[in-house]
Amino acid sequence: MLNKTPLGRLVSWVSGIRASVHAKLLGAFLIVTLLFVVMAIVSFQTLVNTTRQSRLLDEAHERVGWAHQIEQALARQMHFTVLALLSQEEVAISKILRENNRFNNLLAKIESSETAELRALIDQIRTSQDEAMGVVADMANAIRDGKLGSITRALRDRQERLDNEISLRVGQLVATEQGRMARLRDSVEAANHKSLILTATFAVGAVALALLCGFVISWSFILPVRKAQDFLGEVAEGKFEGRISVSNRDEFGALAEQMNHMSRELHRLDVEQRTAAAELGRVNEQLARASQAKSEFLANMSHELRTPMNAILGFSEMMLDGLYGEVSDELKEPLTDIQVNGRHLLRLINDVLDLSKIEAGRMELSLGEYSPREVVDTARTSLSSLAAEKGLEFVADVADDLPVATGDSGRLSQCLINLTGNALKFTKRGRVEIGVEVVGDALVYRVSDTGIGIPQSELENVFAEFRQVDATVTREFGGTGLGLSITKKFVEMHGGRIWVESEVGKGSTFFISVPLHAEATRL
Amino acid sequence: MSERTILYIEDNEYNRKIVRQLLSRTSYQLLEAVDGEAGVAIAQEKLPQLILLDVQLPKMSGHEATRILKKDPRTAHIPIIVITSFALSGDRELAAAAGANGYLAKPYSPRELLALVRQYLPEQ
Repeated sequence: MLNKTPLGRLVSWVSGIRASVHAKLLGAFLIVTLLFVVMAIVSFQTLVNTTRQSRLLDEAHERVGWAHQIEQALARQMHFTVLALLSQEEVAISKILRENNRFNNLLAKIESSETAELRALIDQIRTSQDEAMGVVADMANAIRDGKLGSITRALRDRQERLDNEISLRVGQLVATEQGRMARLRDSVEAANHKSLILTATFAVGAVALALLCGFVISWSFILPVRKAQDFLGEVAEGKFEGRISVSNRDEFGALAEQMNHMSRELHRLDVEQRTAAAELGRVNEQLARASQAKSEFLANMSHELRTPMNAILGFSEMMLDGLYGEVSDELKEPLTDIQVNGRHLLRLINDVLDLSKIEAGRMELSLGEYSPREVVDTARTSLSSLAAEKGLEFVADVADDLPVATGDSGRLSQCLINLTGNALKFTKRGRVEIGVEVVGDALVYRVSDTGIGIPQSELENVFAEFRQVDATVTREFGGTGLGLSITKKFVEMHGGRIWVESEVGKGSTFFISVPLHAEATRL
Repeated sequence: MSERTILYIEDNEYNRKIVRQLLSRTSYQLLEAVDGEAGVAIAQEKLPQLILLDVQLPKMSGHEATRILKKDPRTAHIPIIVITSFALSGDRELAAAAGANGYLAKPYSPRELLALVRQYLPEQ
């Protein structure tokens, strides 16, 4: 709205001046200062002028006084002249001379400070006065000679004529001085009035200009700041496309240019970031699809691998059961070998598939209430024949008063079977014991053996994938090395932990501690 | 139709052969189907006393077939035993949700299968 007015145009003109903010502020300050200096000079001159005028007025007043005194001296002189003529005494003459002196002194005073115009008048007065004094001298001589009576008439006539002449001219002098004083007074008054108006005008002008400078300068700064505020507000809201346009060519103009630069950069980064995010989303989608494809593949693999295993194990079992006729003792052994190796292969396949599922984050526990005793019994039942074959003592140590627990009993059984299977595998003689007890809020399963034990340096690695204590162990005892890492994952999914205590040559004890009431945890 | 007829729906020929040979020594009659749709059709037509079916079947999954048979009033009463290779992925729950009566994980032992069959359909 400000733009349309002359003031607005002035503001935008000031904004457009190619100068720094500092220079503009200094300029405005100097303009105002200069105005006040000029005002001070004008006031001072007015004051000087007024003083001079009043001094002139004083002088004029003084001269008028002198003129009056001259008039009085003249009157007294005339009075004493008449007295001298009447009394015919020389005393009166001396009084006349005294008045003459005073008259001449006053005339000289006026003349000293007088203009040429009046000097002529004063000269005439003086001439007449000198003539009058000549008459007085004649008078004095006549008195001294005692002949006054004969010439009295003539002297009186001359004297009268001269007196009239002088009186007239002195009257002119007084009138002139009075007239001058009156004129002077008028001119002083006029000058004073003029000074007052001038001073007031300058004061008002200075204040108005100061206000104008302040207004224009401040608005030339406020406008870009407001625009910057709006602009930055938009930027903060994420609108990077806008541009700020200010008419300033000072620091504010430079600032606006920087802001535009910043906005362009932000816009560019925003576009880049969006592109990258879109790309990332696309890649993510691809990964998700790949992961989906992988788990579908695993599910299919699971089916495809188990189906032939089912046939192999099924046919060999039915043969052993004599479904196809009597089986000779020589044939029973290889058929049993097929069974054992088939089950082993199946377990290995299951391990690989389980681990793949865990790694893909697709393994989920199926939590429910279960009896810890049954978990131990399941492990014991499925492995008792193996223990019997190896001639190992195989015992379970389960307290009678175990509470009902919450967890995935199938997975916990699998864990215990893994640990017990390992214990049986690595123990040549002695015993393997499975136990479970409640410790605080946790259920602690324990599998101990009197096997080969694990060196201290390897204790940390036993739960890592594909690890066995050394390659010779693999050759002698077989296995993928996946059992323990899968067991560890299942225990951790239950919110529990697994650890081992072992001594080489004496045996190992594996512990699984799981919460009595487990909650689902994703790894 | 005999009183002891079992329908086995399975696409793998060797697995059908196992069951066929396993039941040949018993008094059970065996009907076979190689995919879900055919299995449902035979079940609805022949109304067997027990159905064994694989989960992964061509044309129609075992779960879907179970749902259809359990919805059909003619076949709803027939016990269904689901045989699956997805032993570890909650298939037992899926099978139960579809209405299956029993569950057997593959690879199964023929002995166990026979025991389960006898449990649902005792031999005369």
